[in-house]
Amino acid sequence: MKLVIGGCAQGKLDYVLLKYHLQEDMVCDGMLPDDEKMSENPVIINHFHKWVRQRILDGGCPEEEVLSFLDRYEDCIIISDEIGNGIVPMEAFEREYRERVGRILVRLADRAKEVERVICGIGQKIK
Amino acid sequence: MRMMILIIGGSGSGKSSYAEKTAVSIAQMKTSHKEDMTKYYLATMKVYDEDGHRKIERHRQFRSGKGFLTIEQPTEILRALENMEVGSRTVLLECISNLTANEMFAEAEAKTEMQVTEKVIKDIEILKEKTTHLVVVSNNIFEEAITYDESTMEYINAMGKINRKLAALADKVVEVVVGIPIDIK
Repeated sequence: MKLVIGGCAQGKLDYVLLKYHLQEDMVCDGMLPDDEKMSENPVIINHFHKWVRQRILDGGCPEEEVLSFLDRYEDCIIISDEIGNGIVPMEAFEREYRERVGRILVRLADRAKEVERVICGIGQKIK
Repeated sequence: MRMMILIIGGSGSGKSSYAEKTAVSIAQMKTSHKEDMTKYYLATMKVYDEDGHRKIERHRQFRSGKGFLTIEQPTEILRALENMEVGSRTVLLECISNLTANEMFAEAEAKTEMQVTEKVIKDIEILKEKTTHLVVVSNNIFEEAITYDESTMEYINAMGKINRKLAALADKVVEVVVGIPIDIK
């Protein structure tokens, strides 16, 4: 698995499509792909943070779900916004969302073969 | 050699866990003193609710078994020196965002951006002089689009100035991104 992070609107998806010569139909937006999609490896999961947010709202456990997904399909590229670099919000849910996304990304980065951070469309390899 | 290290990161970036590891390893560095180095965890967080208790408990579990003595000091961090033993010591100060907010709103009338900046920097300069190794954790709160109300903007500006000054004082500055340390000084 490869992890790509960065601020919003930095061109993370374009960077990935260009670098790995992949097409947009390989992209799952804000969700984990179902098993059918996975036959067309490798797959890109874009807006991963939005999936985490939705799973928290649905009362799921994104931490376990994403790890069990990776146990089945390691060959994927996960793209996520970095959302923890602002004022810590007053609302408990917004606070929890930022922290949980952050901690999940720490675990994914630990597991990833490669981690890149994209700024102004340029990828910086940090692992 | 005495060291000061500044560690910065966002929410859930893994900065605390990295800071603890750094403090443990730096405390093992040889100094001119022969005695064992005591490690202090200087905690600045004020607890307001259940969420705060959970957070503190989580950090406590991380630190357990690593030999830190915890001193809670939400404001006036130099008072913590009275509770430290004489001799060489490593201090892990966590974190500047709480300390700055606590100092800003310590009294009925909030301190101005300039007052709070001067106060926090002066205290940390003295703390640095009184410790062998100092590890300071701060937050990256600067990368979002919202323009907040005046007092929050004063807080953000104070934090920015404090971080810049601490980075200048530090021998080493590390940004933690998704748990990965990136040397920036």
